Amino acid sequence: VPRSIFNGTITVGLAVVPIKVHSAVEDRSVHFHQVHAPDEGQIVQRRVCTAQDIEVPYEEIVMGYAVGADEYVVLTKDEIAAAAGAHSHLIEIEQFVPAAEIDPVFYERGYYLSAGDGGEAPYRLLHDALARCDRVGLARWVFHNREYLVAVRVHGELLVLQTMRFADELVAVDSLGLPEPSRAPSDREIEMAGRLVDALQGPFEPSGLTDTYRDRLMGLIEAKARGEAPDLPEAPDEPAELDLAAALEASLGRGAKR
Amino acid sequence: MARPLWSGSLSFGLVTVPVALIAAVRDRDLHFHQLHAPDNAPIEIRRVCSQEDREVPFEEITRAYEMPDGRLITVSDEELEAVEPRRTRTIEIERFVELAEVDPLLFDHPYFLVPSGEDDGSLRAYRLLAEVMAGTERVALGRLVMRAREHLALVRAREGALSLTTLRFPDEVRPGDDVAGARHRAHQPTAEQLDATVAIIEALTGDWDPDSLHDRYRARLKRVVSRKRDGETVTPPHRGKAPEPAEDLMAALEATLADLRAPSQQ
Repeated sequence: VPRSIFNGTITVGLAVVPIKVHSAVEDRSVHFHQVHAPDEGQIVQRRVCTAQDIEVPYEEIVMGYAVGADEYVVLTKDEIAAAAGAHSHLIEIEQFVPAAEIDPVFYERGYYLSAGDGGEAPYRLLHDALARCDRVGLARWVFHNREYLVAVRVHGELLVLQTMRFADELVAVDSLGLPEPSRAPSDREIEMAGRLVDALQGPFEPSGLTDTYRDRLMGLIEAKARGEAPDLPEAPDEPAELDLAAALEASLGRGAKR
Repeated sequence: MARPLWSGSLSFGLVTVPVALIAAVRDRDLHFHQLHAPDNAPIEIRRVCSQEDREVPFEEITRAYEMPDGRLITVSDEELEAVEPRRTRTIEIERFVELAEVDPLLFDHPYFLVPSGEDDGSLRAYRLLAEVMAGTERVALGRLVMRAREHLALVRAREGALSLTTLRFPDEVRPGDDVAGARHRAHQPTAEQLDATVAIIEALTGDWDPDSLHDRYRARLKRVVSRKRDGETVTPPHRGKAPEPAEDLMAALEATLADLRAPSQQ
């Protein structure tokens, strides 16, 4: 069982559900160290006091909020923690929303929930009730001295806690200044594109989605470790101007021959 | 417009559209500087070579993989690109799927794709792809290599633009099998408990209105900063004790329902 990273209580009104939080995702990409190119010495980061030019231990560090040039409001780590909120072990569901209404762009990091001590029956009750009406609970969660907006939702036989982004963190499309083509896509182009989408439509099959890059990157590293020189790719050709209708037609033709 | 984090092209069949990747999330956090407590002088992070014990400029730093025997194998940018040259420059749409089939646990980071080509054909192709997905629940799946790692990419129409969300690979999501969940038959709720809980959920259901949900932590942190600036002392709030689960679950549910149905006291 993955170790729990948080023990607490979910409440819905007077109903109390003791829960444990477990991490659900783990990074499996290849990690590198920073090294100094000439001598391959590992790079270490040092915190240096700019006034005394000496290395400073972590305990002597406080946080400063800049309010002017070289002017800071100084806060200790405890004072920053004070902003996290009081009920640190309580996750109060104040509102439920239909699951389908949430745009997935709001979902951030997901965690599995398990039933805490004595919590099996209320856990299952909350799970089954959420599943029956296809709802998601919204609550606040204080974790590592920070308060998050979280969704409590059904994931198979489990409940999942997922941190959510706030609306004001999302970049508005208007700010992108998207260039518009001089004429809109034609009906024929829309029809051909629709057929191409249909031809490529399929079920979402997670098992077929593996990180092939990770293996290839490790292959390159192992070849270098054996003293072999990797092949370097040639510079790419500049893309030609796109004849949209011809490219769609050719794509459909290619699909039909498969 | 923000600086692109990646640029290349998006391909769909034989249609190729030059695009740039722009962050769709902006950091609204309050930022603090690290200061040295005795003199409140700013702290600077220095990159030091452990061989020579001296600060090194950024240009002299490279990446290296540590082999199990401790040997370091350096990898240059050119070599990284050689790993998967096509995917480093092209997001190829491999298939279209229904958005609802994709587990939100897989969602990682959201971006926008913006057209970076000048010619009318590629601007129209961008518009075309956004239009065929808009109004449907269909999304496109592809792959993208960025910053020395491959990401699954989910491309969909959002507010008239193409958005790209990186997805975690399914093997990065731990199996939930070993998490003690709701499987135990012994804990199956009664029909009465389930009806009461659904009634509570219904009574507390509203529309998803993200604009009404504010980052209270950010607001409180701003208040802590301004109180400190005014010379007040800030003490952490008293942490309340968590409530115990009810002995009689049904009674707790009924009391909650009664509260929700009682005329508002305000």
